[in-house]
Amino acid sequence: MALNRKIAYIDLSSGKVETKPISMEMRKKYLGGRGLDAYLLYNNTKAGVDPLGPDNVCLVSAGILVGTLASATARTHIAGKSPLTGYFGSTNMGGFFAPEMRWAGFDHLVIRGKAEKPVYLWIHNGEIEIRDAKDIWGKGVRDTQSIIREEMGDREIKVMTIGIAGENLVRYANVMTEIKNSGGRTGMGALLGSKNLKAIAVRGTLDIKIEHPVEALEYNKQIISQITSAKVSQEQGRLGTLFIWGATNSQGLVRTRNFQLNQMEDSDGIEPETFEDSAFGMTGCFGCQVHCRAKYIIPDGDYKGTYDEGPEYTSIGAFAAEPGCTDLTTILTGNHLVNDYGMDTLEIGSMIAWAMELYEKGILTDKDTDGLDLSFGNEKAVIEMIHRIAHREGLGDILAEGPLRAAEKIGKDSIRYQVHVKGMSNLHSDERPTPALALGIATASRGSDHLRSRPAIDLYHLPEAVLRQIYSQPVAYEGPLTSDYTDYEGKSWQVFWQEMCYMAVDCLGICKYHTIFLGPNFPNFEEWSKLLYYNTGLELTPLEIWTIAERTNDLERMFNLREGLARSDDWLVDAYFDEPTKLGIPLIRDRVIDRDKFKQMIDEFYAFHGWDEQGKLKPETLKRLGLDKEPSHLL
Amino acid sequence: MVWRRGRLILSEESRQETTSERTARGRTHGAFRCLNCFERIVPPEKAESYKCPKCGFEWRVSWPSPTIPRIRGPVWETNRRLTDEIMAKEKGQGK
Amino acid sequence: MRKMLVTDYEKCTGCRLCELVCSVKHEGVSNPARSRINVTKWETKGIMVPMVCSQCEDAPCMAVCPTNARIRESELGTVTVNYDRCIGCKTCVVACPFGAINFDPIDHKVISCDLCEGDPQCARFCETGAIRYAEASDANKMRQREAAEKLYESLQKLDGAGVS
Ligand SMILES: [Zn+2]
Repeated sequence: MALNRKIAYIDLSSGKVETKPISMEMRKKYLGGRGLDAYLLYNNTKAGVDPLGPDNVCLVSAGILVGTLASATARTHIAGKSPLTGYFGSTNMGGFFAPEMRWAGFDHLVIRGKAEKPVYLWIHNGEIEIRDAKDIWGKGVRDTQSIIREEMGDREIKVMTIGIAGENLVRYANVMTEIKNSGGRTGMGALLGSKNLKAIAVRGTLDIKIEHPVEALEYNKQIISQITSAKVSQEQGRLGTLFIWGATNSQGLVRTRNFQLNQMEDSDGIEPETFEDSAFGMTGCFGCQVHCRAKYIIPDGDYKGTYDEGPEYTSIGAFAAEPGCTDLTTILTGNHLVNDYGMDTLEIGSMIAWAMELYEKGILTDKDTDGLDLSFGNEKAVIEMIHRIAHREGLGDILAEGPLRAAEKIGKDSIRYQVHVKGMSNLHSDERPTPALALGIATASRGSDHLRSRPAIDLYHLPEAVLRQIYSQPVAYEGPLTSDYTDYEGKSWQVFWQEMCYMAVDCLGICKYHTIFLGPNFPNFEEWSKLLYYNTGLELTPLEIWTIAERTNDLERMFNLREGLARSDDWLVDAYFDEPTKLGIPLIRDRVIDRDKFKQMIDEFYAFHGWDEQGKLKPETLKRLGLDKEPSHLL
Repeated sequence: MVWRRGRLILSEESRQETTSERTARGRTHGAFRCLNCFERIVPPEKAESYKCPKCGFEWRVSWPSPTIPRIRGPVWETNRRLTDEIMAKEKGQGK
Repeated sequence: MRKMLVTDYEKCTGCRLCELVCSVKHEGVSNPARSRINVTKWETKGIMVPMVCSQCEDAPCMAVCPTNARIRESELGTVTVNYDRCIGCKTCVVACPFGAINFDPIDHKVISCDLCEGDPQCARFCETGAIRYAEASDANKMRQREAAEKLYESLQKLDGAGVS
């Protein structure tokens, strides 16, 4: 059955590998994927562990439904203490790695220690081997995968790898698989790099037994129709997440020039529809019928003729809107480079745009940039900075350190121009007019993040009755809910609900585009209850899945608290409160977040969690969720 | 819906609509919401741009499928002018 | 009339849902190694091609089988295996010009597409149309129409440029 997958403890210092089963008790408490990773991280690290030292652990996992019939079960989760923020490090990627890891017999890897010289892991049908990585160290993401496949003589091998950025410990280096599937946030690539672990290669041919195959097939068909018939899926199946940019820029909900403006008017040349001419079809992750990745060939410039996949909403933000560029080629080239170097698009775009504003303000000069003109709009400078950051050359060495460390090194007033939460850069969207979205990034467990709790459907102006149907199950909610996205009322509940929703999909290993993220009519708790039963035989009610999500979210909170997180860290930079938006439609113009109302939202959000006003878990919450004995070292 | 465990999930009860199936029934094709006033508007087939009949904001339209119109971007001149007018008026009223 | 699986690599997104549903339908498990259909990929070029048994009219697998275990089912015209006769020599696996016959690593038997007794799940789940189940005599019609459209468009462009 799907629940007999094992957990492997791999010590790179000693070379010892140990495998253990995962008990049903642990499954019912944490499911798998991100949930069980939270447990493993809390139990396998000590407070204050050096994120880049041998005692930090690198966790790699597949969700409990990965590889089964549940519409898009492709997600790999990677966790550890973050080299970027020092708090909970966690990233999630699609592709084909996680299903292959399950077919090879494993759900979770706990990697500790540090290899003496570069190594990679070879995992095959229950066996794990540590192999010399001399042929792939120094290679890009793409070449690494090709070389391993060639060396092993098996083209079906799936590889998760770091690029040159991870080797150079760029603090926001990615873990990558295939061409563009990225575990992008919190610098998990640097974590692998610090362990001298270049890659993990897997190949498996073991069965994952489907408990009720006939029902699973039929129900999967129904779920797929439900998802692909949604308007948003059809749009995404043509343009990927780029389409979000068109809609949000139309209103003035994007960020340009390092948060100086909130709309880009000269953007017709980089509109999602313009990109369609360079694309030739779509591709997708395992089992997914939404297929949101465009295949393209770079049409121009130094990388003309190169194949890549994407680009995403964030690629426009990072390589066009934020640095003030307007050339599609810069976006497509930038996307290609970060994919092959293995770096977080969002973070690098923010760092470059920040440096550009410092250059504009005279805080950085030609001396600091080695003569590179870092003016906004200099397309060549954006590409050049990507190379310099990946190789840690000159100013790139400083920017590779991430928002807080870089600001400390540059000094002067530079921190004032950073747009971050907990030392992680914000998505290139403007949340000043949208308190719900602002609360989400301020309180996300992995630092500023839009995929932890963002109620994106809040932007759709849905009728209150629809909101009520969605947000009052599987737990009753009778408080206020409003269609107005500029409102503060009831938004903290929406953020709380979405936090549970996203946690649940991350435990299951399903993609967020298959739940209530971009579309309001997507499967959630009730559907998951059935999917779990048909596929794995595990009987959990929607409410029980919700409680697991609460438990695992709180465990992530406990990890952060243990690392010294305080209420003051759940906050935004001053610009959100003090500098009104300058552009956009009337509803969005002249907006700031109200400090007092925002404080109140955070109070409500804590209360829903059962946290005290300092954001710490109340004793009764610990007890209710069965967390009062953690760390329990049960696994 | 009362949710019971195990075998019951496969029974009649599970064939009741879930929340997401219910909300999906309200889905409309052929229309989009104006991004300024949120009125649900229906542009003519294959239209490349369309002015919201309620608020006058004008949007360039793209068609991911023949029945799904989506806003591609604003007609910049129109929307900039209207926004400036509205903002000036609000300022005048001391808002 | 005979129906067949028509594949179109230009529409394939490489998601491998076909492999998943095939193995669940036939073996009750998720395991592409036991699927009758496979998507062959060139990841660095973005090329994905679904490969499946064509139920050849003059089937090499039938010709090479030393025990006459490869047999044609009269109703759907599929070429299947009579496991009572099959000795597992895998000659058919080698002989198939498309590599469309797999050897199941768990049950140690040769497997190939049986069209799911007339309701092939791969085609049923493939929403992009990369795998369709169509009348063999109509199999080319969709492709023909698409090609005709392109031809028509380019002719129109020629007209527009004042060439004709
Ligand atoms: Zn309107």
